[in-house]
Amino acid sequence: MPAAMTRPGLCRVEQIMGTAITLDLADDLAPATLHELADQVFTWMREVDARFSTYRADSEVCRFDRGEVLLSEASADLRFVLEASADLWGATDGFFDAYATGRLDPCGFVKGWAAQVASDRLLAAGAPNHCVNAGGDVRVRGRSPSGEPWRIGIRHPWDPMATCLVLAGTDLAVATSGVYERGRHVLDPRRGAPAGGLRSVTVVGTDLGVADAYATAALAMGVAGIGWLDRLADHTHAVITDDAYQLHSSALPLTD
Amino acid sequence: MRRAFLAITGLAASTTALVVLKGSPGTTQVAQDLPAAQPVNPTPQGADPSVAPAAAGDPAGAAPKPSVSAGAPASPKPSRSTARPSGTRTTAKAPTTPRTTTKAPQPTTRRVTGPGVDNEYGYVQVQIVVSGNRIVEAISLSLPSGGESDIHSGDVRDRYNGTGGEVVQKQSANLNTVSGATETSNSYKQSLRGAIEQAF
Repeated sequence: MPAAMTRPGLCRVEQIMGTAITLDLADDLAPATLHELADQVFTWMREVDARFSTYRADSEVCRFDRGEVLLSEASADLRFVLEASADLWGATDGFFDAYATGRLDPCGFVKGWAAQVASDRLLAAGAPNHCVNAGGDVRVRGRSPSGEPWRIGIRHPWDPMATCLVLAGTDLAVATSGVYERGRHVLDPRRGAPAGGLRSVTVVGTDLGVADAYATAALAMGVAGIGWLDRLADHTHAVITDDAYQLHSSALPLTD
Repeated sequence: MRRAFLAITGLAASTTALVVLKGSPGTTQVAQDLPAAQPVNPTPQGADPSVAPAAAGDPAGAAPKPSVSAGAPASPKPSRSTARPSGTRTTAKAPTTPRTTTKAPQPTTRRVTGPGVDNEYGYVQVQIVVSGNRIVEAISLSLPSGGESDIHSGDVRDRYNGTGGEVVQKQSANLNTVSGATETSNSYKQSLRGAIEQAF
């Protein structure tokens, strides 16, 4: 791969949180530094997975849910996530509900938040040009290895190999929630039934945890989520309905 | 018994007589009116509907002003007072039609505002513009906004500020990354592993 030789930076993919995490560092730093930064990012993501996975009975979130860990004994990260989930529950009219499945499951926030924290740490560590993609939730900063703003495709909800919109930017958090990968896994917390009407919701902001939660909440709202997204301050969106219609904010940072 | 029978027949007879007497002039009037009104109306009405709202607000035309709300005391009053006792629209037309034919070809245009009605979603008030005996426009002076009606999809489309409506299309381009719903690579791997274990 001669392209990989000439471009600055480093790209690494690991399977964590049941999905692929891709880190693209575009800064022209020494290889040892880049590897160290990548190691830190993936160590953090594995730490989050161990703490917040609902698939691991020994994770802190499961032990807390069973009452084995008190709030006062919980880690700072768990307490932060619980607090953020409560705030988001209020901000989304109750549609972002970490207890929607009947037990504590803040994964609609945690994955985006974890990638956001990783990006914040990279910025602080002197790597301001990077892209973190945690299973489809994307945080980009600075410029891509080509020197251009990062180009982010939004997956076509019926064709896994295609995209339907392309965004470009130097400081974007892009989160997509959809029913096409895991079926109708997002529940409408008010009815306790799977949400319908929307096939894919993408929210663009600057905090990936919030964008992730907003996308999940709008998906849970169904068609009413379009109006809700339209009134959101400081966020733009793209929505694809079950009948394949596409709507997006006029301010969405689109490119061709 | 006899008296009762006489009373009933008498009542029936008088009622019939009343209906016949009252009904016959009315129906003949309608029959006369329509042909009389028709030739007058088509000519202005062809050009009228767009002009009608302006004409009603236009102070120049003294004749169109006889609106209920304006209550111009001079000419419109008679048309209304004649309309009242007879009680039918067609009789109300009778006095106005000859006037328009003799004086001006414009039909009378009136704006009538309905009462404000509250419902659980808000306040509704409608105004109609009547040209001659036809409603040419209905204007909603007040309609509910916000609240529950927001969540209806038709409303969502009307009130939506973004770009929308096109069918989703495939766009391929040179990309750095792709945002999408979380893929379940783990379950794929587990399933693949299970398949391999079964196969060997």
